[in-house]
Amino acid sequence: MIRFENVTKFYGNQKALDNIDLQIDHGEFISVVGMSGAGKSTLLKLIIGEEDLDKGRILIDDIDMTKVKKVDLPYLRRKIGTVFQDIKLLPKRTAFENVAFAMEVSGHRKDKIFKDVPKILELVGLLHKRNNFPHQMSGGEKQRVAIARSLAHRPLLLLADEPTGNLDEINANEVIELLLKINELGTTVILATHAADLVNKIKRRVITIEGGKVTKEQAQGKYQL
Amino acid sequence: MISFLRVIQTGFVNFWRNIWLSAAATLVMTITLVILSTLLFIFVVAGFALNSARERVDMSIYFKVGQSEKQIFSVRDDLQKNPKVKDVSYVSPEQGLEEFKKRNENKQDILDALSQFDENPIPATLQVKAQNLEDLPAIAESLSGDQYKPMIDKINYEDNRDLIERLSQILRFIKSFGIVLIAVFSLIAVLVIFNTITLTIYNRREEIEIMRLVGATNWYIRGPFLMEALMYSVMATIITSAILIPVYSHTKPEISNYFGTTDLFASPYLTVTFLILMQLVVAIILSVISTGWSMRKSLKI
Repeated sequence: MIRFENVTKFYGNQKALDNIDLQIDHGEFISVVGMSGAGKSTLLKLIIGEEDLDKGRILIDDIDMTKVKKVDLPYLRRKIGTVFQDIKLLPKRTAFENVAFAMEVSGHRKDKIFKDVPKILELVGLLHKRNNFPHQMSGGEKQRVAIARSLAHRPLLLLADEPTGNLDEINANEVIELLLKINELGTTVILATHAADLVNKIKRRVITIEGGKVTKEQAQGKYQL
Repeated sequence: MISFLRVIQTGFVNFWRNIWLSAAATLVMTITLVILSTLLFIFVVAGFALNSARERVDMSIYFKVGQSEKQIFSVRDDLQKNPKVKDVSYVSPEQGLEEFKKRNENKQDILDALSQFDENPIPATLQVKAQNLEDLPAIAESLSGDQYKPMIDKINYEDNRDLIERLSQILRFIKSFGIVLIAVFSLIAVLVIFNTITLTIYNRREEIEIMRLVGATNWYIRGPFLMEALMYSVMATIITSAILIPVYSHTKPEISNYFGTTDLFASPYLTVTFLILMQLVVAIILSVISTGWSMRKSLKI
């Protein structure tokens, strides 16, 4: 569903991605690994249009990203769920409201929101905390609420950029298991991380990026640098 | 449609959440509107005064007591032959007395002084309007001959000319001073609102970033800020009107009295509807420009 063709991205004079060729199919679970600064985040940012690429093109379900106008970007983003290292929840709203927020911005009606949000929270195992505020939850729980929010639009693709970065081992495992569960339900997942142990446990396709280039691809990979 | 209502609601809520910031912006806008409205009012009144003065008689010729109307009429005819003269009219002593009483009907002390006289103290007059104010001295000159001297007590034309000159000057001054004042305060209003919105954007940057990532359209993000700008305008207009309209209604009769006519307030610029609309339009323009500028600079979408 995603194809990178000869993608190159510069930040100023620095080459962040160098002639990347990549294909990701529907329903896959991919770990993109590499050291900090290798280009993993850039890869993800290009997919959601947060950055523009300098050469090549990216096709998402045959839509050429370079031809998508800035005005239409929001509609594309609604098809792609995103989760980040810093979680990005609204601190003054409850778990329920945070998830509902994503549905509000796309104009869903109140009754639909009230029906769907509890289901999503249940999927991530946090229905019982729907009225809690972020500061009343653990790191892992917060990240799971963020994942719930990313699922609000029933996306076909979920991008997770270092989702376990600020979490301890137990919470990190919770998050990864949730991602795997979501993948089983049919969502394509791209996980960018430098957490070696996690990747090794997943035993799915691993793509290694070093210095902006894809150096290794393994079907059932281990994280090896 | 739902999104539109949500945008409006968000803007409304944000206005009240940051009430102190909103109050500052609204206050500055209110001051600007008050100045604008007051200046407009003064300008219209002064303009009217000027026109009134122009309507009035340019020259009054006061005849000595005891002149026969025939003699006075012959002076009138002579004047009418003068091309510089636009119009001459005769005011008999009786008429003059009536007009004097009417003009001073509220001033009891003057009426009392008047009743002290046994006979009518008001002389017969000829009221002259000239084609051009500059010709007045020449017209007066034409009556300086010996045939007129025994009849005429006094010729008065300076007063009105002075008045008109002074009013014109005042009007010019109000215009230039007013424009400068309005420009300065408009600039201040724009700057304050610019700062307010910039601060608001900064305060909500987390929320804005998340909105972007979950797929909110640009107008869903911008909308609330424009709504806030609209609210500053509406609130400022309401406050300005609440202050000025009572003042206006209060002074209306007094000013009408002074001019002796209510025609002044027939001007479309002085109706309540126009004033409110004008304030609203000016306020909206200023706040939208300023908000747009701020969003352009600080809103990253």
